[in-house]
Amino acid sequence: MPTSLMINGERRTSNRDPMTPLIDVLRDEFLLTGAKSVCREGVCGACTVHLDGRLAVSCLVPIGTVEGKDVRTVESLAMAGELSPLQQVMEQHDVVQCGMCFPGILMTLTSFFQAQPNAGRDEIKAALVGNICRCTGYERLVDAAVTLTKRS
Amino acid sequence: MAIADPAAVTMNLPRRDARDKLLGRTRFTVDRKLPRMLHAAILRSEAASARIVKIDVTRAKQMPGVRAIALAEDAPGMHGIGIADHPLFASDVIRFYGEQIAAVAADTYEQAQAALRAIEVELEPLPAVLTMAEALAPGARLIHPGWKNYEVLFEGGARGGNVAWEATVIRGDIDAAFARDDVVVVESCFRVGRQNHVSLEPRAVIATYEDGRYHIETSTQVPWTVRNQTAKLLGVPASQVHVTVPPVGGAFGQKFDCTLEPYAAILARKAGLPVRLVYSRQEEMLTCLCRENAEIKMRSAVTREGDIVGREAVVLMDCGAYGGEQIFLTTMTAHTLMGNYKLGSVKAATRAVYTNTAPNGAFRACNGVYNTFALERHTDEICEAIGMDPLEFRRRNVLGDGDLGATGQVFEGDVLGPMLDRMAAMREKSPPKKDLADDRLYGRATVVGTWFVFVGPSAATINLNADGSATLITAGVEIGQGTMVQALPQIVAHELGIHPDDVIVRNADTDAAGFDLGVGGGRTTVSVGAASKAAAAVVRQKILETASELLQTRPEGLVLRNGRVELAGVEGSGMTIAKVVQRAHQVTGPVVGSGSFTNPGVAAMPGCAAGHFIDAIDIPVFNVHDCEVAVDPETGHVEILSYKVVQDVGRALNPRAIHGQIQGGVTQGIGYALHEEHTIGEDGCIRQNSLETYRVPLALDTLAIEIDLYEGAPSIGPLGVKGAGEVPVMNPPAAIACAVANATACRIQQTPLTPPRVLGYLLGREPAVELPHIADNWWDNVLMKRPS
Amino acid sequence: MADSVADATAALTDDGCVPLAGGTWIMRASIRGEAQSRRYVGIGRIPELNTIDVKDGEIRLGACVTHARLVESFAGLAQWNGLAAAAGAAANPAVREMATVGGNLSTQDFFAADLPPALLSLDAAVELVRPGGTERLSVGRYLDVRRTLEPGALMTSIVLPRRPMRTGHARLPLRKAGDYPVAIVSMAAVLSSDGRVDVIRIAVGSVEPAAGRWTELEEKLLGRPLDPDTAHEMAEATADTFTGRDSVEAPGWYRVKVLPALVRRATQAVLSSR
Repeated sequence: MPTSLMINGERRTSNRDPMTPLIDVLRDEFLLTGAKSVCREGVCGACTVHLDGRLAVSCLVPIGTVEGKDVRTVESLAMAGELSPLQQVMEQHDVVQCGMCFPGILMTLTSFFQAQPNAGRDEIKAALVGNICRCTGYERLVDAAVTLTKRS
Repeated sequence: MAIADPAAVTMNLPRRDARDKLLGRTRFTVDRKLPRMLHAAILRSEAASARIVKIDVTRAKQMPGVRAIALAEDAPGMHGIGIADHPLFASDVIRFYGEQIAAVAADTYEQAQAALRAIEVELEPLPAVLTMAEALAPGARLIHPGWKNYEVLFEGGARGGNVAWEATVIRGDIDAAFARDDVVVVESCFRVGRQNHVSLEPRAVIATYEDGRYHIETSTQVPWTVRNQTAKLLGVPASQVHVTVPPVGGAFGQKFDCTLEPYAAILARKAGLPVRLVYSRQEEMLTCLCRENAEIKMRSAVTREGDIVGREAVVLMDCGAYGGEQIFLTTMTAHTLMGNYKLGSVKAATRAVYTNTAPNGAFRACNGVYNTFALERHTDEICEAIGMDPLEFRRRNVLGDGDLGATGQVFEGDVLGPMLDRMAAMREKSPPKKDLADDRLYGRATVVGTWFVFVGPSAATINLNADGSATLITAGVEIGQGTMVQALPQIVAHELGIHPDDVIVRNADTDAAGFDLGVGGGRTTVSVGAASKAAAAVVRQKILETASELLQTRPEGLVLRNGRVELAGVEGSGMTIAKVVQRAHQVTGPVVGSGSFTNPGVAAMPGCAAGHFIDAIDIPVFNVHDCEVAVDPETGHVEILSYKVVQDVGRALNPRAIHGQIQGGVTQGIGYALHEEHTIGEDGCIRQNSLETYRVPLALDTLAIEIDLYEGAPSIGPLGVKGAGEVPVMNPPAAIACAVANATACRIQQTPLTPPRVLGYLLGREPAVELPHIADNWWDNVLMKRPS
Repeated sequence: MADSVADATAALTDDGCVPLAGGTWIMRASIRGEAQSRRYVGIGRIPELNTIDVKDGEIRLGACVTHARLVESFAGLAQWNGLAAAAGAAANPAVREMATVGGNLSTQDFFAADLPPALLSLDAAVELVRPGGTERLSVGRYLDVRRTLEPGALMTSIVLPRRPMRTGHARLPLRKAGDYPVAIVSMAAVLSSDGRVDVIRIAVGSVEPAAGRWTELEEKLLGRPLDPDTAHEMAEATADTFTGRDSVEAPGWYRVKVLPALVRRATQAVLSSR
C-alpha cells in the first residue's frame, strides 16, 4: 500500500512495504542521502529526522506509520540557500571531521534549541546522548553550540 | 632567496569540505549509486572451526534477481602482510566465525540475502582454538597446518605452529643485569581486550568491470594496497585494477587493509554490472579488524636509585585466524613497550598468535596503546617497589638526546624531559579537582608515551594552471583527519606563494597518482606532505625560470607571494603567477612537477632486532598525559575529573585542527580505557554485535581536554611537522589505569575498567592476571634459538 | 494502521498479528536475530490511546503516550518525580519521543525497561480490552500474564492512583547515560509527619528478567524514619533475595551488588521530592 507524506515541504509517495524503515525510503527511494544509516537500532542518531516537528530516529520508523506526516531531514536546514545558524557555528568553529554524524547531530540540536534556546553546556551534552560521534570527542562541537545560545 | 615567510604556513585554515558535510550533501561511498547497480551480500560461517564438506549453489543461482555468485575458485590468490596466509573465501576449512564462504550479487539486497540462505553448506565441526593460551599449549591443533608452504612476503620473522610471526630484540647482557645484587626485580602481567573502530561509515565499495579493467570506488585509507591486493587475490595484473576513493566516513585504521573490495570486483566482472557491497553494522561488529587482544608479561631489574638496568618482556598478540597487520605490529613492541625510558639491557619477544577468531587489524596507534598502558602501569609498580616518586622516576629515566632506544637507535634531542616540565607547569596552573570527587576515591597520574610516524613511499604531482591555481594529485585520502583539506594545500601554497584555497586537491585515484603507502600511522602530513613539497619545489623552480626571463631578473632575486612573482623586497612588483604560466605554455609547455618521498632510514644497532619490519623509528612522537579520576566505591564507575595533554607535534601547521584530533583521539582512548571491549563467546562468535552492547563514549562520557602543543622537536617532516592525528589515543588507557590504581590501591592489570571490573577489583573478586602460558624463562617462550 | 480500539482488537484476533506502537523494539527484531511477524497493526494513531486523563482519584495514560510526553506532563510534580525520572532518562531523546508507555510494559524480552519498576512502585494498573470485555489488572499481574494474553487483547491505558506519595527512581547505566541500566530501584513512600514510613513500595528492574517488588525491604523500612543510610543498610541485608541475570553487559553478581547504592539514591530522591 503506498504511503503519502510530506518530505521537506514536498508531497511524496512511497511504494515500499509498510514495515520498511523510513531511513531506507529517504535514502534509497528519494535519494535524500543526508541522513545516514549507521546502527539501525536507534542508538547512534545518524539517521535523526524531524517527524511532525519532533525528533525521530528514522531507522525505527516504519514507513507505513507516517502517512500524511511531515518529515524534515538535514537537507531542509538550509532550504533558502543559507546555512542555518547552527550550521554556521559548526562551520566557523572548524569542528567537522569525517562528517557522518553531523546530519543527525544538527537535527537533534535544531530541535533541542527550539525547545530550550537558552540551554547550558551540560544540557546540550545531555541532549546529544543519542548521537554517536567517533571523530571529534564532542566537546568542540558543544563549544560551537554554546555560542549559539549565548547569541540568542 | 625566493622563499616565503615560513611563519605564514601556520594558520587555522577552514576545512573546504565542512559545508557540504553540514548540508548533508557530501557523497560518501555508501551514498553512491550507479545505473543498474546490483547489491551484494556475503555468506559467512556460523562455526569457528570446521571442515567444509560441501557448498552447493545450484538452488541459489535460480533465486529471483540473482546475477552472480562468487566462491573460492574465483579468487585463487592469497594475501597478507609478511606472509600470504589469507584466502578471500574459505575453501576447505573454516577458521573463524564469520569467515566468508560465498558472495552473491542480485538486483536488491534482500534478494541477495535470500539467495545466501539458499546456498547449501555442509560443515563438519572441528575443535576450535579460541584463546592464545590454547593455541600455545603443547599439542595444540594447528590452525594453519600448511604454514610452511605459505609465500613469505617479508623475510626474517620466526614462525611455527600457531605462531604466525615472532619478532625479538636483544640488546646488552640482560642476564648479568638481573643477576646484580643491587637491583630490585619487578614483574607485571597485563591483559587487554579488543577494540572496534566503529567508523560510522562501514566498509563499503562499488565495483564495475569496464574495458577489461576493474574500477573500484571504495571507502579505504589505502588505495594502492586495494589495487595490489585485489589483483593478487584475483590473479590478474595489478594494472587491471583502478581504485578511486570518495570522502571516507571514518576509518581509524580499520580501512588500512584491502577487505571487501575483491568480492565486489569479482561479482561485477561476472555479472557485467556495477556491484555495491556495504557491510552491515553487525558484520562490522563481528568481523571488524579490531585492535587485538593481547597478553603481556614483563620484568625489570631496577637499582634503588632508579636506574633500569635490564628489562625483558613477552607480548602475545592475538592475530585471529589470519596474520594480517599483527605480523607487522610485532615490530612495534620494541619501540613502545620497550620505549620511553633508558634501558641498560633489553630482551623482548612479540608473537602474533593464530586463533580461531575473527582476524584483527590496525587501529590508531595500534599496539602502542596497550603497550603504553602496560609500560606505565609497570613503571608505577617499579616506583612502588623502590619507593620512588613516579614523576621523579620518569623525569630521571625518559629518553633524551643521545640516549639509546631498545634496538640501539640513537635518539636525537631532549623532548620527553622538557615535555614533562611543561606538564608540571600545566598542573601548577590549574588547581586539582579533588573536591569534585566528593566521597568517591580520588586518584591522579601523569604518564608518558612514544609512538612514531610511519613514513615510507609517497608520490605527488602538481599541475600549475594558467589561472594561477595548482592541482595537487596524490593517493592521499580524506578520512576526516583534515590533512587533505588543510595541511597539504597549506604546504603547497606556502611553497608556491599562493593561497591554500587556490590549491585543488584531487581525490585519490590510482590511475592518476603515483604509489603511496596510504593514510595511516600519522604519515599523511609527513610523507604525502614531503612528496607534495618536493613537487611544488620543482614547479616553483620552473616558474622562477620563466619569470626570470620575462622580468629580466635572476631567479634568486625573485619571490613568490600573494599569487605573484615579485622582485624581492618590492611588494606588488613583477607579475601574476598566472601570467607566468601562460607564458610558459608558449615557450616550455604547461608547468608540471612531481616529487616523491620515502623513509630516510635511521640506523639501529646491528644484530639487535630480528623479524622487525622497522628496526628504528624515523620520526618518534612523544606524549605526556595527566588525568584525575574519581572512583565510585559502591558501583565501580570511574569519572574523569580532568585531562591534560602535552603533545609533541614538531610544528603545528593548523593548531585548531590538531586540537580537534587530540579531543577526538583522547575520547577514543577513554572509550578503550573504560568501556569498549569485544569478548568472544564459547562458539567463537564476538558477543557484542551492536552499538547497544558495544559502548563507545557518548557526549557525557568525555570532557574538554586541556592541551599544550610542544613544538620544536627534531623532525624530518616537511617544515618540521610530525603526524598529530594518531597519537592522542595512545596514552589515555595508561593515564586512566594508573590514576585508578592510585585511587583504589588495586593492582590494575586489565582494560577496559568497566564498572563491574572496577567493583570486582575493589571487592577483591577480580582474579589476578598470571599468564601461566608465558614461561618464566624467557628463552622457553621463543622459537629463536639461544646463542650458544 | 488502526483508527479505533475496535479496529485494532479485530485485527489482533488473527493469531500472529502484533500491535505496533512506537516501533522502537519491533524494528530491531533482525538485530536480535528474530524474524518479524507476518502482520502488525499500527495502534499509534488511535486517539483514545494518546490521551492523558487527569481525574480526581487517578490519572489515565493512554498506552501510546510516549516517554517524552510523560516527562512534559509530569515533570516538576512531586508525586511523579520517580515516573518523570524514569521516562526522562530512558534510552535517548529521540527514542523517548517514539517509545510508548504501553510498549515499555509489554515488551517482555526487554529486561532493562525503566517504566515497569516505576509503575510497580506507584501501584499502577493497566486496562486491557479483551474479547470478553474490559479488564483492569495491576501492573505486577500484567507483567506475569503479558506473555500469555489471548489474541485480540490490547492494553489501552495505564492507571495511576493519585496519592500523596513521594517518589524516586535510581538507575545505573554503565556509561553516564544512553545505555540501558544494569539495575534500577524505584521507590514511592508516604511519610508520617515525623518522617516515619507509613506506606512504601520499592521495585527493582533490570536485575532479574522481570521487574518486581522488593517486599522484604519494604517490610524492614515500614514504620522507621526514612533515611538513606538506614535504607542502604537494610538493602544490604536483604539484597541476596535477588538472582542477578548474567548478560554481555554485566554479570549477575554486579547487578545485585549495586542495589544498596541505588536504594540510597532512590531514598535521597524520595526525600528531596517535594
